[in-house]
Amino acid sequence: MRSKNTLLSGAMIAVTVIWLSPMAFLLMNALKNAADYSRGPLLLPSTFNLFHNIANAWAQGIQGGFINSLLYGAVSSVLAVLLAAFAAFGIVRMKLPRALGWFLFIYSGTIFPLQMYLIPLFKSYIALGIYDTKFGLFAFYTAICIPFATFVMRGFFLTVPWDIQEAAEMEGASSWKIFWYIMMPLAKAPFLMLTLVQFTWVWNDLLFGMVLVRSPQARSVQVALLGMLSLYGQADAPTIITATLIVSLPTLLLFLLLQKHFVRGLALGATGN
Amino acid sequence: MPSLSSRKQREAYLYIAPAALMVGTFLILPMFYTTALSFSSWDGMTAPHFVGLDNFFKLVTDANFLHPLANTLKWMILGVVLPVGLGFFFAYAISGLKGARIMQVCIYIPATISASAAGIVFGFVLRDQGALNILLQSIGLGMLKVNWLYVQPYNTYAMIGAYTWQATGINVMIFLVGLQGLPKEPLEAARLDGANAWTFTTQIVIPMLMPYVVIASLLAVINSFKVFDTIWVMTGGGPARMSETLAVTMYKEGFANFKMGYASAVAVVISLLSLVFSYFYMRNMLSRESQI
Repeated sequence: MRSKNTLLSGAMIAVTVIWLSPMAFLLMNALKNAADYSRGPLLLPSTFNLFHNIANAWAQGIQGGFINSLLYGAVSSVLAVLLAAFAAFGIVRMKLPRALGWFLFIYSGTIFPLQMYLIPLFKSYIALGIYDTKFGLFAFYTAICIPFATFVMRGFFLTVPWDIQEAAEMEGASSWKIFWYIMMPLAKAPFLMLTLVQFTWVWNDLLFGMVLVRSPQARSVQVALLGMLSLYGQADAPTIITATLIVSLPTLLLFLLLQKHFVRGLALGATGN
Repeated sequence: MPSLSSRKQREAYLYIAPAALMVGTFLILPMFYTTALSFSSWDGMTAPHFVGLDNFFKLVTDANFLHPLANTLKWMILGVVLPVGLGFFFAYAISGLKGARIMQVCIYIPATISASAAGIVFGFVLRDQGALNILLQSIGLGMLKVNWLYVQPYNTYAMIGAYTWQATGINVMIFLVGLQGLPKEPLEAARLDGANAWTFTTQIVIPMLMPYVVIASLLAVINSFKVFDTIWVMTGGGPARMSETLAVTMYKEGFANFKMGYASAVAVVISLLSLVFSYFYMRNMLSRESQI
């Protein structure tokens, strides 16, 4: 049995390494300069041009998008999860009439394909003067993150024992106090997990960045990355590859640093138990 | 003075109002508006005019719709079979192994980067003079070289491959949760009865994991309809619109050809296709939750 497990372990380590080889390809070619890359993308680097590539990628458009999307991701995810926590608290803990109907109204925001939102948002954003503004993207990203977060927070609040809340109510605590001093300290783990998942969603979004903004001032990071491809004549392959690496790092690092929360949360979110 | 419970109910509305308003304004209203637009002809400039079901009649004879529809079904089938199948394989193989945790994290890594970033990396690997063809040449398999992103149907399969690389991670997570939750006794009993590995897996483990297979597959179908970025970055739907899926078609008709009524009709078709699966997914999730 033991030797069989060792064999399987070895095989799976090999499979995992092959699985990650595109990441290795990315890292390896980010180190090269253009001449080194053109010798062959599979050859080990013979130059160390990483810092130069980073400076190039940063200057050729990644910079603005990177900072914008950090803000979009951080503000929208925290705000959305907070609003979702309020909603879930109202639905589960405050005995809202027709609670299931309200929940389904909010949760229905997860079931339609994103294509259903594009044209009306584009047109009304122009009409309202928020097309091509940071405010427009902040608002949309917050809205799109709420439904799933409400689903998870509702599931969490259903599990909180009622006697804590009843004891606090007996002592005359307001619902506002109960939310902030009893529920939120208990909900730290789902709150963190949801913020991570929604930050990643916003950071990785391409479609709404393409449709709702145009100018470099408000551009999201994925749109900025794609912009480098169309500049292909000017940006060499290692610069584009390095830009891809830079754009991938925040979500990759968040996952690796906080994987405990991610791993539990993702399976939880997908299976609902 | 109002009773305590009616005051509490009024307060409850205050808690739910911001979320409901945001979702209503940015998601539900646009959804209804797109549905209404699908019955109109609109260039985006002049006022839309009502054309009834014309857009939908046009769709069924339009090669620029039927071909993407066929591609979408290809994506749907392979986008379930490959990520869910590989996800089960990985989870089953590593579960219980030393280092399972690290392998699980490694297999999930591709899912953390954006589809655009992955599309760019695979673009460099799969282009005509790219890494894959160089590799094939150097190991003596030069006759297998293909211009992967340019030739039908390889471009669609190549992109499904890149997608699978990213979509497998979540299924590994789902199946590991499922495997950890399996009751030990029936598994032990089957082992003692001397069931071989294949019988054990297909007759005992997979049937017991069925609820997880169902939820992973439904989720995978729903996600396969959403794919846009991978295709947009890797082929742009081309050449000659041959690798488009409906999500890309909708974007092109609306934002490149300015046929916004027609594009809305395409969006409605995508919705109808995915709603069937979303319905079962949501029902499954909510019934599962009510068992807690």
